[in-house]
Amino acid sequence: MSLNFNSTGARVAGAIAIALLLHLAGTLLIEGYSSPFSIRAMLVLACLLAVACVGQTLTIIIGGIDLSIPFVIGFANVVAAQLYGDGMNFVVVCMIVAVLALGIGAVNGLISAGLNIHPLIVTLGIGTIVQGAVLVWTRGFPSGSAPEAVTKFVSIGGSVGPIPVPWLIPAFVVMSVLIIVALNRTPYGRQLFALGANPRAAKLALINPLRMWMITFALSALFAAIAGVLLLGFTGSAYGDVGQPYLFQTIAAVVIGGTALVGGRGSYLGTVAGAVVLTEINTLLIGLGLQPSLVQAALGLVIILLVSLYGRERHVSTTI
Amino acid sequence: MAESQSELRVTDLALAPGKGAINAAIRPGEIVGLSGLDGHGQERFLETLAGLVPPAGGRIAIGGEAGGVTIEGFSQAVRQGVAYLPRDRRATGIFPPLSILDNFSIATIGRDVRGGLISNRSRRERYEVFHKRLGIVAPNANAPITSLSGGNQQKVLLARWLAHDPRFLLLNDPTRGVDIATRQTLYGVFHELARDGMALVVLSSEIEEIVALCHRVLVFREDELFETLSGDDLTSDRVIAAMFGRSQ
Amino acid sequence: MTAVPDTSPTPRQDGLVRAVWRRTGFAPALLIVLLALNIWLNPVRFAPANWGILIGLAAPLIGAALASTPAILGGRGGIDVSVGPIMGFVNAIVVKILITDLGLSSPFVVITAALGIGIAIGAVNGILAAYVRIQPIVATLGTYLILVGVTLTILPSPMGTVPDWLKTLNGPLSILPIAAIFLIWWGVRRLPYYDQLMATGSDDRAAYTAGVPVPFVRFLSYVITGLFAGIAGLMMTALIGSADANIAPSYTLIAISAVALGGVSLAGGRGGLIGAAIGAIDIFLIQSVLTLFNVSTFVLQIAYGAVLVIAISLMAFQDKIEARGRQR
Repeated sequence: MSLNFNSTGARVAGAIAIALLLHLAGTLLIEGYSSPFSIRAMLVLACLLAVACVGQTLTIIIGGIDLSIPFVIGFANVVAAQLYGDGMNFVVVCMIVAVLALGIGAVNGLISAGLNIHPLIVTLGIGTIVQGAVLVWTRGFPSGSAPEAVTKFVSIGGSVGPIPVPWLIPAFVVMSVLIIVALNRTPYGRQLFALGANPRAAKLALINPLRMWMITFALSALFAAIAGVLLLGFTGSAYGDVGQPYLFQTIAAVVIGGTALVGGRGSYLGTVAGAVVLTEINTLLIGLGLQPSLVQAALGLVIILLVSLYGRERHVSTTI
Repeated sequence: MAESQSELRVTDLALAPGKGAINAAIRPGEIVGLSGLDGHGQERFLETLAGLVPPAGGRIAIGGEAGGVTIEGFSQAVRQGVAYLPRDRRATGIFPPLSILDNFSIATIGRDVRGGLISNRSRRERYEVFHKRLGIVAPNANAPITSLSGGNQQKVLLARWLAHDPRFLLLNDPTRGVDIATRQTLYGVFHELARDGMALVVLSSEIEEIVALCHRVLVFREDELFETLSGDDLTSDRVIAAMFGRSQ
Repeated sequence: MTAVPDTSPTPRQDGLVRAVWRRTGFAPALLIVLLALNIWLNPVRFAPANWGILIGLAAPLIGAALASTPAILGGRGGIDVSVGPIMGFVNAIVVKILITDLGLSSPFVVITAALGIGIAIGAVNGILAAYVRIQPIVATLGTYLILVGVTLTILPSPMGTVPDWLKTLNGPLSILPIAAIFLIWWGVRRLPYYDQLMATGSDDRAAYTAGVPVPFVRFLSYVITGLFAGIAGLMMTALIGSADANIAPSYTLIAISAVALGGVSLAGGRGGLIGAAIGAIDIFLIQSVLTLFNVSTFVLQIAYGAVLVIAISLMAFQDKIEARGRQR
């Protein structure tokens, strides 16, 4: 792979090492931290977060950011439950949700790149519209539930044959491998890195920025929608704000995983490690008996500490 | 080259509103130089040829005697066989964190795809051709492009565009910040390309270089074509004189 | 075309209207339309006698937008997402600890504390973003989480009241804190520091080469942002009249929208406080109009998002047309 020779590789290794250290600390400090159930629970939570982070990784590599992820998660969560509750076939439901999500994302990319507006504002605005539309549609009271199959797919107690993990885990591993291969070995992946690294040179190297931004933000919304449907199975009932914790967590996971916010550098493997780190920290702090509000505060502190360890930017004098 | 009949034709081109019309033709096998004091229109002329800047008037076309295909934009120009090597390597050329192979293949990446995935073997084979031909000094094609010297970065960028098999190669100050040895290699490559039937347009701020390298030099002054020098008239003194608006 | 080196716009002798238009873009036009619409629809609420209360209602959002601006002007991803939580933290400390627990309610103590907290947190953000060189959105996200967590711990549920002098900042004197921010900024603009900030924001490498102490300039921009956020925290405290940990964090994102709407470039180096204030007032007036129509908050949310996207798109169109005009 062509990424082994620069600092991204080191950052990914750093994130993995920190995840392992946190796990070790948890095992030593808290009884039952490494019990099979606890590990399974952490795996499922980390997977759900990592799915939501796919889009954040892609949009940050291209040099943008996607704040609409939590809104699209909520959108997919509520719409899927509602349509399925109305008696529609779940496969059809998923197709509808996927198409709508792709559309939302494409609009994000179209406006950001076409008009050269910062994606932070565009995705926030579009996300707000999406959330409002869902609320209007459900009058604020979403109903419906997930089909049995989805609930089983993500259930912490599920098992794949003799292996005591739900199908979500192997499916996630396959998906991650596909994403990593796509980033490293497809024209889309290489053009994504090139465009993020140097947008002005990208145009001269025959990369169509508008097309790339539309595809990338559409993919981001698609994976957010997948996360929304999986969360529906996980929590059992529809909830429009289910995605809210993911607003900043996706950014934090991506950055802890060594992807630079300036674009052009990063990897999905790092993001997965970042998602594991966040899940470990959360579990550890709750296990230590901290109040949720203090867990949040400690999480902020840990993010700052981790990123100042290995996520620092270069001094301006070295960029001249 | 099969289509060596075609030429890059400039008809009544105005670089800015109200400026005099420029007429010129760039033919296969020619190396044409562009010169002038900084900011006197030669760079804009080159960018207009590449379709990067719309002309203020007139037209640029590729083709035989009559008609031809008008250039209306960069990607369309590239489809017509135009390649453009930008001036500022760092700002508009390289992709810093990416590997040499990535930097080389990015504009022609579709050619390496086998069954949906990029074949590293195909990419490396294509790169090796230029690696040898241009004498790129690089330890490892997977190393980041920033590990190379300026001259070798420039060779990789040149290879990026040569891989496109262009008929017209537009070079914006190609030897800027490049060491002497690499310059000699590049001059040799340019002559070779011209012999094989490619048309080259070279903008250079160095008069000695342009006089030695080119068959013909267009000197610009105040956004107009001031003089075209070739043959015995193509001397440093004549170019400098023309740059300052004196014709002999 | 990005391949063409930017030709810096030639300074033209324009009228004041044109200058404001160029600096703040579309927002002032929207402001006039919205203001007219509001006055027409609800003359009583918008009568001059009620302006104090109206401004008090809009003040926290305006304050948050003004506070967000300096860090953004510094460029290279400069942003402070902790502005909302700083306001909430100030609110909690002032009402819960100073006024309720310690019984200190004199203006001197309260205002000093609010400004001091703002400056201190701003300095932490500044150190993290400018010297430790953590990407600003991540650094301030860290302080965001810390502040929200600590605020909720101090203040598990809403409580407390505020002294009378602070209540007047929600009524007749509501313009005072905003005026204070503008006065401070007016002073800043007279310092060489302001030019250094704008230079850093538009091109930090060039500024550094020209001898501008880029890290220090960026550090100070976060301190100013923190200071303004502290003042905004007081405005919010005056408005809600109690301590509530759940209100402030949501100001962050609306404030950033307001700043963008007001023509401040999120890439840095372009825009100013007037634009940010106009953007914030626009958003307040949009909410005000929509509330008048008695639509559900859900529709309000759609409309708010749509107006934001449309307004910012129109601004971008305007930029594109102007850029084309310059090229010709």
